Order: sequence, then structure tokens, then C-alpha cells
Amino acid sequence: MRELELYFGPQHLGMVGNFSITLQVEGDRVVKADANPGFLHRGFEKLMEQRSWIKNFPMVCRMNVVEPDSMEMIYAMGVEKLAGIEVPERAQFVRSIYLELARVGSHLFGLWAYANMLGFDTVAQWAMYHRDLVLDLFEELTGGRVYHIYIWPGGVRRDFPAGFEKRMVETLHSIGGCVPDYDDTFFNNSLFRSRASGVGTVTREQALRMGGSGQVLRATGVPFDVRKAEPYAAYSSVPWEVPTREKGDAYSRIWVVRDEMIESVHMIFKLLDSMPGGSVYTRIPNPFKWRIPEGDAYVRCESSRGELGLYLVSDGGDKPYRAHFRTPSYPHGLTVLEHALEGANISDVGNIMISLYVVAPEIDR
Amino acid sequence: MARPSLLKPFRAVRFLFRKPRTLRYPFQLKEPAARYRGFHLNDWDLCTGCGNCADICPNEAIEMVPQPDLIPEPGTKNERPRLDYGRCCFCGLCVDICPPASLRLSRDYFHIHFDPGTFVFTPRDEKTDDSNFVPDEGYSVLKASLSHRKRDYEGFSSDLDYALFDPQRVEMPELPPEERKKSFIEQVLGYSREQAVREAERCLECRLCEEACPAGLRISEYVEAIYRDEPEESLRIILEDNPIPSICGRICMKHCEDACSLRFRGESVAIRWLKRFAADSVRSFRDALEASPGEPTGRRIAVVGAGPSGLSAAYFLRLLGHGVTVFDEREAGGGIIRTGPPRYRLPMESIDRDVDYIASLGVEFRFNTRVGRDIRFADLQNDFDAVFIGTGYTISRSTRVENADRCLLALDFLERNKTGDPVKVTTEVIVIGGGNVAMDVAREALRLQYIQHPGVECSVKTVSLEDWDQMPATEEEIREAREEGIVFNPAWGPDMVLLDGGGGIIGLQCKKVRSVFDGEGRFAPTFYEEQKMVIPGSMIIEAIGQGADLSFIPEELLKDLEYTPRRKVSVDENGMTSIRGIFAGGDIVNVNMDAVTAIRDARTAAEGIDRWLAGR
Amino acid sequence: MRDMGTLLEQLTSTFDGVRARLDDDGRMRLEAEKESVMSLLSFLRDSGFDFLQMVSCVDWIDRGSMELVYVLSSYPSTDGGSGDLLYCILKVELPRDRARTVSVIPLYECAEPYEREIHELFGVDFHGHPRLTPLLLEREYPVPPFRKDFDTRKYVSDFFDSIPPVEEEGGAQ
Repeated sequence: MRELELYFGPQHLGMVGNFSITLQVEGDRVVKADANPGFLHRGFEKLMEQRSWIKNFPMVCRMNVVEPDSMEMIYAMGVEKLAGIEVPERAQFVRSIYLELARVGSHLFGLWAYANMLGFDTVAQWAMYHRDLVLDLFEELTGGRVYHIYIWPGGVRRDFPAGFEKRMVETLHSIGGCVPDYDDTFFNNSLFRSRASGVGTVTREQALRMGGSGQVLRATGVPFDVRKAEPYAAYSSVPWEVPTREKGDAYSRIWVVRDEMIESVHMIFKLLDSMPGGSVYTRIPNPFKWRIPEGDAYVRCESSRGELGLYLVSDGGDKPYRAHFRTPSYPHGLTVLEHALEGANISDVGNIMISLYVVAPEIDR
Repeated sequence: MARPSLLKPFRAVRFLFRKPRTLRYPFQLKEPAARYRGFHLNDWDLCTGCGNCADICPNEAIEMVPQPDLIPEPGTKNERPRLDYGRCCFCGLCVDICPPASLRLSRDYFHIHFDPGTFVFTPRDEKTDDSNFVPDEGYSVLKASLSHRKRDYEGFSSDLDYALFDPQRVEMPELPPEERKKSFIEQVLGYSREQAVREAERCLECRLCEEACPAGLRISEYVEAIYRDEPEESLRIILEDNPIPSICGRICMKHCEDACSLRFRGESVAIRWLKRFAADSVRSFRDALEASPGEPTGRRIAVVGAGPSGLSAAYFLRLLGHGVTVFDEREAGGGIIRTGPPRYRLPMESIDRDVDYIASLGVEFRFNTRVGRDIRFADLQNDFDAVFIGTGYTISRSTRVENADRCLLALDFLERNKTGDPVKVTTEVIVIGGGNVAMDVAREALRLQYIQHPGVECSVKTVSLEDWDQMPATEEEIREAREEGIVFNPAWGPDMVLLDGGGGIIGLQCKKVRSVFDGEGRFAPTFYEEQKMVIPGSMIIEAIGQGADLSFIPEELLKDLEYTPRRKVSVDENGMTSIRGIFAGGDIVNVNMDAVTAIRDARTAAEGIDRWLAGR
Repeated sequence: MRDMGTLLEQLTSTFDGVRARLDDDGRMRLEAEKESVMSLLSFLRDSGFDFLQMVSCVDWIDRGSMELVYVLSSYPSTDGGSGDLLYCILKVELPRDRARTVSVIPLYECAEPYEREIHELFGVDFHGHPRLTPLLLEREYPVPPFRKDFDTRKYVSDFFDSIPPVEEEGGAQ
């Protein structure tokens, strides 16, 4: 049969975000896939080299539209490590709660994308609505709905407003109360299973070889999570589980996402119970004079998509000398995706890509 | 994982009969959260135009725009931030850096317009902007825009605990009152290197201070140099505009600190102490600075008086290459600064450091030489190309109440204590006056009592016409004097000095003050004549003000000398008096009557002399 | 073999010219010549560093060098143990004017896009890389744009029309 070249995305219903894949197809079977990122390349890392340490803080979050919070966290961690800033204990708890809330919001968004792509519009609408409830919480806490600009070097930007814990618990309970609906309509729907099961399988051996992390790896049975491997914020203060599945296909990955969301909510409740008092911010030096000693550091955290890292270099100046983000979508969306698409059916391309949980702006930066 | 099912998903059908969750905008609105980061609000009355918001904006969305309606004053510029909402990312860093907390964000976020010009906007708030901010009942979301906003709709606002500046200054180590009142040891101990760097770090570099400084020092630059731990560089910058940093680092009236943008919700940057640190931490000015006088011009200028204005004039003239000779009746340099401020505020060594540096540049000093007595003024006019007069206020005024001739005068008292034999004080001292000189006198008298009458119960009391709120002394001086145990009697005027049979002082009779100034703000005290009080005391020192002594100028010249309405010597833009070739500066010219203003006068005159000589 | 101290000793005795030290937080810092990268990385991989987190590049223009940074760590065993993880940062300096080295894809497959990106943004050549085609950018640039001598502002003002500043409209309606 004749081979054709097929452009998939950026304007394709099955594509989430500005990303495209060039497919070599034979009939409806993909022979070879070539990922084309770059539609969202804004050169953030270069821009960061020209802005002072504090001016970068409102910008880094824009690298990941879906979950800006981990970006804030990783930048704060990098700066704190280079500058030797101690973060108060309460700020660590606030950060963890905030990041888990962000994980819930991000997973709901991911669920929307996935369900929407498969045609489960009802579930997609629910997920979007519930994400909005989470955004309401963010709005109350930080003043912004999408870009929260909240975790900054030294701690967080404001403490919880009065009564926030209570409203957060209420909202999470109301979302949690819908889990049976989600299960019945989506996760335990046999249509979903037949659509996702065995699709886009990445074996454990492949995932490890290609630098996989997050759901891609956990869906193959490896309980790898940076929050456990190298705990930061307050993740070592409360007990929690790393959900895994065994098969490594799209079905397993989405189930890991579901379980993680539930685990995150439970973790928030536990963190709230053992939250210490005190300050949430260590004053950073005057931003106009702030210079950070020469040095470099690699810091990492677990975003909702896998290991998020930052290699940050200071030459002793008032700006970063170099910042390079290791985003989880980078290996997933380039190396793993190209591999997983080989031999797949054309109708499964979007399915595989979204189940790998790729966010295009994260790849391009 | 439950068994997948084909039927269970149909449970979702029941949602068809539920009420929709979507808001029906614009009939149904969602109230933004209390901390919402929307459009800016700016209280123009609080805003100082410092521009910190524009400096921190990551997107260069803020520009400081001059407002012709506003009059700039020391500590406030007539600029206000203008936002370009095409660039703003609503991060709120501008709010967290705003020192007076004038800039805040509101909960408004609607603005739709076809004209990009409307997205560039100079925010104000409802306090002063009636047309753009409408009350709740007149507000309609259909009209919502940058020019149709709700009143009292504040969102993300400043919180001092999370501010990007440090409101607290590094505490200056000082001797405690109990210890310092027993000796003349310098009260302020000075910052260590580490403390100075930490204090210098607080400066936001907005330069409000530089506009307030009479001498125009480049404050933020020298503070930055201290922050970089380069005190030599800092001193070099200071010396470009101020030749007496050791002196000014101790006794400057610090107009800069009154203008510091951190003053609103915290303490100003300790600019004076930082200058002192720079001057004190450089061992030898000459070695560190490598400054040299300008190309010799062959001109010679006489400077009368080696006080702040005379020293500064000599320094600036010398840097311009002129030959300078300074005449002073005292035995060393410093002028009133040498004999006035007590040692615990300004030690002699600090004065000598500055004077020695100026002398090392080639300025000739002729001390113990009083013009008019040891050398004729006419000789100066003949032998030199120009004369600068900076003789200051050297005569203490007296109250001239009955028996006032039995009292001591402030400047004599201070001078004897500092450069001669200390005055023998009694155990009960009364000081008349409420200014800084009176504070110096009272605190010196207290120290002398501790030294001369150890173990004896002593007292120092002050009497001043002004009440607490009008007292001309600085708050700092009044606080420190009270800490040391000096008793104040504000709003009492001296009536007569009471004497015993042998002519010894036994007290001061005072009358209650009704008002100090008249309706036009002129000094014209009135009293409740019947309300009287006697303060017992055996020694009275008058410290009610000083005057100029220009008697060294010959009569025929003096009659041509013109004065301002406030009885100051009148000078033109070159610093020249109404007499050709005679320039003047310092306390006899300006109304601030402090060292830093004297430096400004001296610089004006030095540059004026240079121009005048060049044009002759 | 998961004792970092022993590993460090082994490294310095096996490889010439490798500068190695342990950071305060237990991370290994290695600096090596580019010739020994392959053998060093293959030794590290066999010693348990099975996870190449990223390859980064820093342009030290004042030193005249391009520094490649390989950030390595290990995956936990499948039973979830986390006490014995390894961390290492390996730096290799290349001369800036002849920035060439060998691709590490044969050892770590996930290096492929990183090396491709570094080639595009920093102009470093990776010998043996299967496709050093553009990854993120769409235009040609006078110098690779992430190098320090690429002036972003100047490029923007030269390449794009300057955007006239928008002035405030008198009394916004």
C-alpha cells in the first residue's frame, strides 16, 4: 500500500493545544510519527536571563497553562536552593495543599480533554465545571483564576484568608461526591474501556529507557513519584500512597489519573489536620539589589504530569545566568509519543497523545 | 476497579432534569473574590511618584508620567504611574513594592473598547476621581470599563508582612541613656560593616531623597556602593558633592531621610548613618580617593570662616584649580561645628579628618586670624581675586529679661566645654530655649553635673515658649534628652531672673504662654500675664537663638550690603552679594541654617566665582 | 553498588581527568573531558544511574566555552524503595567556536530531543545524532538564539517593525 504523509494538528479536533504530529501512514496504520513542537515557543528561558530574580516569578507560571503552580514551585525551589533561603514550616504546608489543589484542577482539565476527545461530552462538561470550582478556590486564595502567581521565593504570597479551609473542604467534598457519577458514566463505562484498553501501550522497560515519569511510568507499575523519592514542601509530613496500574496502556494511565486525584484530596485533608501555625513567608532581599551567589542547582518536583525539573545557574548576578526546565511533557510528548504512535491506528492518535498527558506549552517553553 | 458496564452510564440521564450550573451573564454575575487582582487603584494623595512600581513591573507596563497639576515637593514627585493594560499581567508586584500602599488592585476586570488608546490609563481611586467611579446603584455591568467602575471595590492590596521592602531599619548601636549621660563619649557607636551592608540593602533606589537633599548628593549611588561592600567608592561619590562626610555623617539635618519613600509604613533608610559609615571605614581619605586639585588657574580666593560653608567653598574652589586661603579666628577648622555640637554628638577627631583632607588638597588655612582684627578686610579685597564670606551665626541672643546679665549664653557655654576649661555647673541648672542648641546645652549641663557633683542629686530643667508640638528641636533630640532625665517646661516664657541678697541666682520666674506666633506666622509671643511660676535654680543658660556678626566688614562697605526680608544676606545666582567680588553662603544666607545647605551655598558660590573670574 | 563514596573512588581511579566531589546534599558533581563522556556515562549507567533527567547547555561566553550538563539519577526499584536513590550532575566543557561532541543516544534514548534542541538553540554539534533538524524554531538566525551573544531586543527591533507606543486617550470613555 502507498505511504502517505498526514499532518495531525495543530488545528485538529483530537489535538489538545498547539502541537502537531507528522504521520507516515499506510492505510489507517501509522508507520512513523514525527512530533513537531514549537508553535508555543516563546523563548522563556532566554527571557529569564534578562529579568531580575523577582521579575521572573510572574512569568515562569506561563510555561504551563494547565498547571502553572508547579512551575512557580520549581522556580521558587531553585532560587531558594541557590540563595540559601529557609522557608517557614507553615509555608511548606500551604505550598503542599496549594499544589495538590492544583493537581486536582489539572487532572480535571486533563479528564475534560480526554473525555472530550473520546466524545464523552457529558463527563467533559462535568470535569470542566468541577475545575471551575477549584479555580474559585484559587481566586479566593491568590486573586487570580488561571495564573495564580502565588508561590514565590521565601514562601507564599499571602496566608489563607479567614474561613478558606472550610470552604476548600466543602468544595472538595462536593466534587468528591460526584466520583460515583464519574465512575458510572466514564471510568467503568465499557465503551471507555474498549476505546482505551490496549491502546498506546508503553511497557515498563520502554518507559524507563525513554525517561518516563508520572502517569506514563506509574501505569506500568513503577511507583515513582518525586514527592516520595525526594520529598519537598510538606509531602513527608503525612502518609499517602502512590497509585499505580500494571498494563501501561491509555486505560491504565487515565485510571492512575483518577486515583491520584482522589489521593490528592485525601492528602489535602491530612495536611489541613496537621497544619502548623506561624508565618508563611521569609522576607527576601530587596528585589532591586538582590544578587544570588554563584552556583548551579538541579531541583525537581512532581507536577501533575511527572517529574518537573529546573537546572538553574547564577553567575553571582541579579538575574539567572541560565534556566532550563525539564518538563515532563518533553520526553513524553517527543520520545515516548513518537514511539507509542508507531503501528497505531489513525483514529487513536489523539487518544494516545492525550492519554500521555502532553501539554504543548510545556514542551516549547 | 469495578466491572465495566454498558448500562450504568445511563444514570447520567437524570442530570437532564437538574438546574443548569452555568451563570447567565450578564444578568447573573459572579462576584470576584476579595483578593481579586483586577484593574489598578491609586490614591494620588498618598502616591509619591517614587516609581518603584514602574521599576519592578516585569512587563514594562507602568510608566511614570508627569502630572502638570501636581506640585513637586521634597519627598513627592509630580509623576504618577500610567498603566498599559495591553502589557499588564496583573501579577501585583507593583502593589507589593508600593511603599505608601497607594497602589492597589480592584475587583474590576471589564474593559472592551475598539480604541487601543483607552487601554493606556492613569489609575486613580474613588477618593479623587468622581467621574470614573460610580456608586453601586449607578453602576451597570453593561457599561463596565476603565472609566465606569464601582466604588469601594478594592481587591488585592498591600500587606506589610509580605511587602517586597524591609520596613525596619537596622538598629544603630547606641549607649543607653544611663551610661551616656555620665560622660562625653560619642553616643552613637556606628554600624559595623555587616550592619551597613544590611541597611544599605533596604534602599529602593527611587531617588526621592536626592531631590530633597539641598546639596544634591547622589545618595542611591553611594548607598549602593556600601551595599556592594565598597566603602571607598561610596566615599568617592559622596565627596564629589560633600567635602565634610565625617561631620555630615553625624550632625546632618537629613532632609533626605524625611523624603525617603519607606517613611510611610516603616523607617527611612538610615542615610546619615551610612554616610558616617563610609567616612569612618576609610582610614585615609587621601590614599583611598586619589583626588587632586584642578589645573592651577593662578587666581587666589580668600575664604572667611572655616565652618561648613567656608570649608566647602575652599574645597570646591580648590578642585577648580584656584588658590584658596581660609581665615578663621579659632585655633582649628570646623567653625561653629567645632565649638557648638557636643563631643558626644560630634567628636573633634571627626572634624579634623574632614579638615585635614581639605588641607591635603592644598588649601591654606590661617587659624587664630580674625578678619577685621588681625588682618584688614580691605587687604583681602586687594590681595585676592575674590572673597567668600561664610561666618555663620556666632552671637548668642539674650532674653534681656530683668537680671538676664547674670545668665550664661549658649554658644559660650558650649565652646568652653568643648575647647577650653569646662564650665563649673551648679546642681540646679535651668536652660531657656526649645531648639537643638538648647538641647545640646541641657544635655551637656547634665553630663557636667555627673562629672563635677558625683553622687549629688542634680537637675536640669528647660523652659521654652513653644509647646511640645511646636518645639523647634528635632524629635530625636527631645526624646534623647528626656531619656536622660531632663525636665521640660514647655509653653512658659521667662519673666525675670530671681536673685538672692548676695546677687546669686535662686530661680527663674516664668509666665504662661498664650501664643507664640501671630496670625501671619511671625514670631510675636503673647502671655497670660497673671499666670506665673517660679522654677528654682542656681544657674541659668540662655539658648534662644543666634545672630550674625558682620562687624569685620568696614562700615562703608557694610552699608551697601543688601538683605532679604528675612534678614539674610542677599546673594544672586552666582552666590555674589550686592558688593562686587564678595560672595557669601551658609547661615548668613540661607534659612535652613544647617551644614548641608551651607554646602549647597558654597558650591553655588564656588562655581559662581569661577564663572565670574573667567568673565572678568 | 549504591554507596556514593565508593563510587566516587572508583570513578577517580578508573577515569583520568575526572574531577569529582560530593555536594553537601549527597549529590555527585563530576567534571570531565568530552573524550571520556561515553565511557563515563556508560560506567555511570551500569552503576545504577539509569535515569537521564535532562541534558542542558550553558554558554559561558567569558570563558569561551559551552558547557554541557547531564543530570542523572536513578529510578527506584519497583517495590517503591526510595532510600538509595542516586544523583549526579556531569559537566563537560566544549570550546565555544568548535562546540562538537558525541551523541549519547546509544546510552540514553531520551537524550534525543535534548541534543536536538541544544543543537538548534546553542549550535552544538552532536556526532551520531540521527536527526539534527530544527525542533522549536521556524526561522534562520544569525547566531543560535540562546547563545549569550544573541541580543534578543536588537533582533526584535531589527527583524520586526517597531510597534509605536500607544498613548493614553484623553479621558477614557
